[in-house]
Amino acid sequence: MTYYALLFIAGLAGSFHCIGMCGGFACALGGDPRGPSATAVRHALYNTGRFTTYCFLGGLAGGLGWAIYTCLGTRSQLGVQVLSESLNAAQRGLAVIAGLLMIIMALQFFGLRGRRVTTGFGGSTLVIALRSLMSRRGHAAPLAFGVLNGFLPCPLVYAMVAQAASTVDVLSGCLTMAAFGLGTFPTMLAMGGLGRLLAPRWRQRGVRLAGSFILALGLVTLGRGIVPMTASHGLHHIWHFA
Amino acid sequence: MTAAPDALCRHCLLPLGRRGFARTVNGESCQFCCYGCCIAHQVKSGSGEASEAAWLLVRLGVGSFLSMNIMLFSLLVYSGAFAGADRRVLPTIQLLLWGLATPAVLILGEPFLRETWSQVRRGRLSSSALIILGSLAAYSYSTLAVFRLGGHVYFDTAAMVLMLFTLGRYLEAAGRARASRDLAPLLAAESESATVVEGAEEHRRPVREVRSGMLIRVKPGERIPVDGLIVEGCSHTDDSVISGESRQIAKTVGGSVLAGSINLDGPLLIRSSGSGDESRWAQICRSVRDALRQSSGTQRIADRLVGAFVPVVLALAGLTLAYWGQRLPFDQAMLAALAVLVVACPCAVGLAAPMAHSLGIGQLARHGCVVRSPGALEALAATRLIAFDKTGTLTLGRPHLVDLASDGVGEDEVLARLAGLERHSEHGLARAIALAARARGLDPIATENVRIVPGRGLRGIVAGELVAAGSAALMHDLGWQVPPALVERADVMAASGHSVVFIGWSEKACAGRARGALSFDDTPLPEARATIEALRALGVQVMLLTGDHAGAAARVAATVGVDDWQAGLLPDAKRIALDQCRPRHGAVAMVGDGLNDGPGLAWADVGIAVGSATDLARETADLVLPRGGLWLLPWVVGRARAVRTSILTNLAWAFGYNLIALTCAVLGLLQPILAAAVMAGSSLLVVLNSLRLERLPGPSYPSALQLSAAARPASEPQPREQAQRSRQRLEIRHTWGESSPRPEI
Repeated sequence: MTYYALLFIAGLAGSFHCIGMCGGFACALGGDPRGPSATAVRHALYNTGRFTTYCFLGGLAGGLGWAIYTCLGTRSQLGVQVLSESLNAAQRGLAVIAGLLMIIMALQFFGLRGRRVTTGFGGSTLVIALRSLMSRRGHAAPLAFGVLNGFLPCPLVYAMVAQAASTVDVLSGCLTMAAFGLGTFPTMLAMGGLGRLLAPRWRQRGVRLAGSFILALGLVTLGRGIVPMTASHGLHHIWHFA
Repeated sequence: MTAAPDALCRHCLLPLGRRGFARTVNGESCQFCCYGCCIAHQVKSGSGEASEAAWLLVRLGVGSFLSMNIMLFSLLVYSGAFAGADRRVLPTIQLLLWGLATPAVLILGEPFLRETWSQVRRGRLSSSALIILGSLAAYSYSTLAVFRLGGHVYFDTAAMVLMLFTLGRYLEAAGRARASRDLAPLLAAESESATVVEGAEEHRRPVREVRSGMLIRVKPGERIPVDGLIVEGCSHTDDSVISGESRQIAKTVGGSVLAGSINLDGPLLIRSSGSGDESRWAQICRSVRDALRQSSGTQRIADRLVGAFVPVVLALAGLTLAYWGQRLPFDQAMLAALAVLVVACPCAVGLAAPMAHSLGIGQLARHGCVVRSPGALEALAATRLIAFDKTGTLTLGRPHLVDLASDGVGEDEVLARLAGLERHSEHGLARAIALAARARGLDPIATENVRIVPGRGLRGIVAGELVAAGSAALMHDLGWQVPPALVERADVMAASGHSVVFIGWSEKACAGRARGALSFDDTPLPEARATIEALRALGVQVMLLTGDHAGAAARVAATVGVDDWQAGLLPDAKRIALDQCRPRHGAVAMVGDGLNDGPGLAWADVGIAVGSATDLARETADLVLPRGGLWLLPWVVGRARAVRTSILTNLAWAFGYNLIALTCAVLGLLQPILAAAVMAGSSLLVVLNSLRLERLPGPSYPSALQLSAAARPASEPQPREQAQRSRQRLEIRHTWGESSPRPEI
């Protein structure tokens, strides 16, 4: 449970980062002329869309991790011993990759970004797409908007997806992203209302905080991959069940 | 609604083709080549208040929402999250999946269904039929399973296949629009509007309604809609669409501006000098549009294959179902058949050539090179021999006086009389004579009744006496004698490869005689040698075919570095020369100035006109380079080859991919969802492969070092200046052009 709580907090802290782009979208989505309750529904739908995308990505990543895991596992057919060893190796490899990815993302948060690989052809196309949805009325548009918004290139989401892949299970992957997505809810919902009240200085601090969280998560994930299973069992145990 | 077959897609500017349909966007009727372009166009142009504009995106978003939920729950079911104790919830989950899948299939499938229906009514089957059949089969089977049969459900297959194909088409369309980015300013000529100033009022009017003499206001940043003269204001313009050269040119009152160039920094008031649809920009626009409408041989073959593909795939899917149905449970056999249906969608094959063509044509057009047909690009890529015309192509086409010999009279008198006579001519040599006379401070002697003797020269009257200038044949025709001293000098002049003109006159009503001989030389273009070397480096052989005499041909050939030349060729002889080269070299290209060598250009496999002054619509060349654009030729050849390579790799990829995937699907090794992802990925890869063409470097003018390798007279202006002057020069039709033999002894 602690694991998911940690992810929730990471999402909460990370959502200060979201204010930059997605918060702008949430603000632009604006209110509904029919009153506060309609506005609330509008923003709830937007966030539901986003949440669904995150869960989907998490489930998919978990499934993919699982596929790689079993694929590598079944390749060696010498016996149970070897099988479980290679399975361990596969899971550890995934953890190393996910950990490294998360550390790179975290460093980006501290301003150490190298070449920006996150926005490309697809991203710019999506952003243009989103703009036209912004001011549309009705319930379907904010939902669609949220769904597409979830696919926008974002280092935070990438890091979490990497984490989800390393869980090597569809349900865990999905829950990983769900916990993270729920963590971003408060800020994003608030953004719909209080919008630009938050000073840039606070946003900067929030981004740093998010970076620290991702960095810590990345290091632990990396550790899970590098430290031998027997030695790390204690750590592993704490990680999953503490 | 059936679209005209030769129209272009509103979004990606490719021909509409078979999948074309019309849709009203923002109250305007638009035609699209496919559903993806329709979405992408609406995304691009749709503003918030346009209701239909965002509707498709909403559809995509809500469809994704539903499909992702379906996929997520299905993944959870597959991964065994509901195994064991939670087994009881499975029927509920299936019901939930059905509830999600029904709207998803309706929302996402409707455009495909509509397309299929419109095709079926026209008696054709398109790839949409395969997609719709596949997803509907999965949906119907799963619905039956939920309510009657029990067992596995495949709602995820139904929804994700539709989802992935919608997404694939959208991304494909976005990529295609990017490919046509270079074409947009060219095709804008027809839809552009101009701000017409009438008294105190200003109106926006379509360019085609602009007539000569109208006043047009052009704001900074706007494209100049018509050719004209500046009446008010000063600014810089960028003429790259017309001249191929991207640089700022300062313009002030009285200066002329070209339609299609961009007004960079100051407001201008222009008096139109011709109607809007006569400008070169409008001509280029029409020409490019025509080129895009045509399809090359490769494309026609690909289209035919795609047409035959759909029925074959349907049959194959049926066979797969029948075969696996006997060996496996029905639902697994059905999945194998669905994978066959979905994986065989031949979208990428249809996309392979048009995208590379429109990219290639667009990039060439951006540098002022107009391609008449996509086939010409492919032919140029295969060409291994390029024949050049001489005058105006490899040379400046502006001769200058080299030598003057006189017999019994002063040199100044010879030149003054000649200048007086040639003042009435538009011949290329006339300019040279006028310049030489002015350099010596001579006034041309007034001449009356000047007449052109076709192919021979000129004759006129000075103070009642006949004066004539031209070839030795003209002197002979007039019965005038050429003194032996002059004949000797003229021989020397001709031997060094110069054009020779005789002048003579009669005195006191006696028979006249030739009194002077002048020789003229045409300077080879400074960039000619570098261009020819660059072509050789590309593995292209070069030869010179000219109507000029052998001496001139040999001299120019030596200067520009061509070993293989034929001189004294009449237009018909050029055609024969081209024919003789075909067996050895295959396709042959001919480069000329488009004036006197029209038949040669038309006869070659690829006719290339440089700086053609003729109306583009009447131009016989397949490829027209801008004025002074000979140096672009190696780049154009390189680009044509890149386009061809891109098409071939696209086709190889698309067919290979389809065949391998189809084999896997028939063998039951491919999940339908994976198959859909594979297919969407296939067209995306074709798009990305074609877009690689964008990254190739643009043309670069030969460096000073390369130019200095070309021998040129020391008194000539600097190459850059000279090349620019040659770009600005007015083409003057040669009365003694290469189609008729030059004056000679």
